[in-house]
Amino acid sequence: MTTTATQDRPGPESRPGRGRTPGAARAVLPGVLRTALGWTDAHRTRFALPDDVLDPRTQVNGTLKPLGELAQLGSTIRCTTAPGTPEHELAGDLVAYAWEQVHEGALLLELLRAEPFAAYPYEIYAAFAGYGLRHEGFEALARPLTATRAWAHTEQHANRQLGLVNSERRVGVVTHTDAGGVLSRTWLGGLSEPWMFEGPSGYALTHTVFHLTDWGRMPDRVPEKIDGYLRTWLPAWADGCLESGQWDLTGELLAVAASLPGPAPVELLDAVWPVLADVQHPTGCVPETGAPVQDPAPDPYPFIDCYHSTLVTAFAAALSLRSLHGNGERGETGGDVPGRERHTP
Amino acid sequence: MDQTHATSPLAGAVHDLATEVVLALRSGDHLATVCGAAGIDEENRTGIAAARVIGADLLLPSVLYGRHPHPGDVAVLDRAVREFPPKPDAPAATAWSHWHMISTLQRMAPPAPGTTAPAPGAYAEPDAAWLEEAPWQAFTHQLSVLAPLAVPAAPSAVQRAAANRAVDLSRGFVRAVRRRDWLQAAGAGRWLAAIGGEPATLGLERGLDFVELMGGDDPRVSLHVRAARLMAEARAR
Repeated sequence: MTTTATQDRPGPESRPGRGRTPGAARAVLPGVLRTALGWTDAHRTRFALPDDVLDPRTQVNGTLKPLGELAQLGSTIRCTTAPGTPEHELAGDLVAYAWEQVHEGALLLELLRAEPFAAYPYEIYAAFAGYGLRHEGFEALARPLTATRAWAHTEQHANRQLGLVNSERRVGVVTHTDAGGVLSRTWLGGLSEPWMFEGPSGYALTHTVFHLTDWGRMPDRVPEKIDGYLRTWLPAWADGCLESGQWDLTGELLAVAASLPGPAPVELLDAVWPVLADVQHPTGCVPETGAPVQDPAPDPYPFIDCYHSTLVTAFAAALSLRSLHGNGERGETGGDVPGRERHTP
Repeated sequence: MDQTHATSPLAGAVHDLATEVVLALRSGDHLATVCGAAGIDEENRTGIAAARVIGADLLLPSVLYGRHPHPGDVAVLDRAVREFPPKPDAPAATAWSHWHMISTLQRMAPPAPGTTAPAPGAYAEPDAAWLEEAPWQAFTHQLSVLAPLAVPAAPSAVQRAAANRAVDLSRGFVRAVRRRDWLQAAGAGRWLAAIGGEPATLGLERGLDFVELMGGDDPRVSLHVRAARLMAEARAR
């Protein structure tokens, strides 16, 4: 009599590596980080800006956005890896390459002059400024603009506004508003019902944490309530992303998990990292979504469909190694863990 | 027999029985007979098989409202217990649901003098250690299959395992909703309503409303959700 059973569709239960193997994340992470960074390095010219980058008709998503992400994620990898390691050196090289591409900030000033009231030139500049790469002329023009009422009332989603606050922090100016108030208006800050999680709210959530923690560098900025909420629900969301082949979002959720204050969420890292490691191509790239190709030839995916997920994988791997290292592999092992969300009475 | 949604006579009978349980849960009518309303009696082979699928939930309205069950329903459940004993190699969940049918019958309708009671060995609780070891995904799936055990005042090793892993069950609820597996979500939600202890941010009440509205075409989904609501109301009192 099997009709009593809920018909569980074939899913992750049948996938190998499902259960937690202690030390599994630690075993795969160095290789994942090394190869993802290696792929990025081998494809660095694909991040190069075209000569017509300032032409308004040029697609930002295919030019300045990837370069800004290279700078942003590369600088966190640089900061979270040990000096002297190849990963640390390579991440530094990649940030320096991105800085060259924007002509040490001069090109960003040109961009700002072309679109003085837009936020994105400032956000791209902040990725460099937070790393100590600065351009005097850019800041001179940005200073009065970011002190206006209009700047403080830029209309945008709450998680984007948190990004602006973080950019201001990185540049070192007074923030236009209090981050806590903005946080409470985000999907995450509202401690939303976890069964309503889906792609768009997922990316809103990961970016809320990235902006809040300055891309994983400041875990202590995560309030206790949100820490408990994330530790409670990240396993369910990551599981769903693995099942539906959302590798890019999986990587971002892992980066969030590794950006929490206190003990590393070891169980989650051990359960998810081996799966993502299997998805990673031998050359180091990771597809954004969908079934991974089995072709061992180089460049199995178009650049635009894998550069972000590959960068995110490297970023999440560097943060995870730091998180695991910081906790000597002890970390959180389930049960009543301090910081996990309290139960209802 | 309404087989609008059915793919086989058995599925149709299961649908009808579950629908009648839901109606009885809704009305609270103390004269309700689930099997009679579904046109099933002791002689109806398909109906008895359907009763085995529904299991102890056949008596759920009586269990939750604290009333004596209808003799016709008791007779059908008793027949299902005798006709479909678990095979030696049956999955543990099948052994557990069989055990629960027997223990529910004992609790709700002690055998009348002169009738044959099930063999004493059949009352022993099956093993539940496997549940404690299961990853949270498989744990929720199995618990959902065993949702009829999620009733008040019916302690079991399964219930203790559930109470020890409320967070895992809550994660399983989230996972089931995301997979649009409404039956699993409803079963997991019913367990959480029975044992409590879910994280406050889960939003179980609204989650169960959503599950019922999305998956209520299957009366087994409605059955679990209604059971969950009645238990949650009782806990709140």
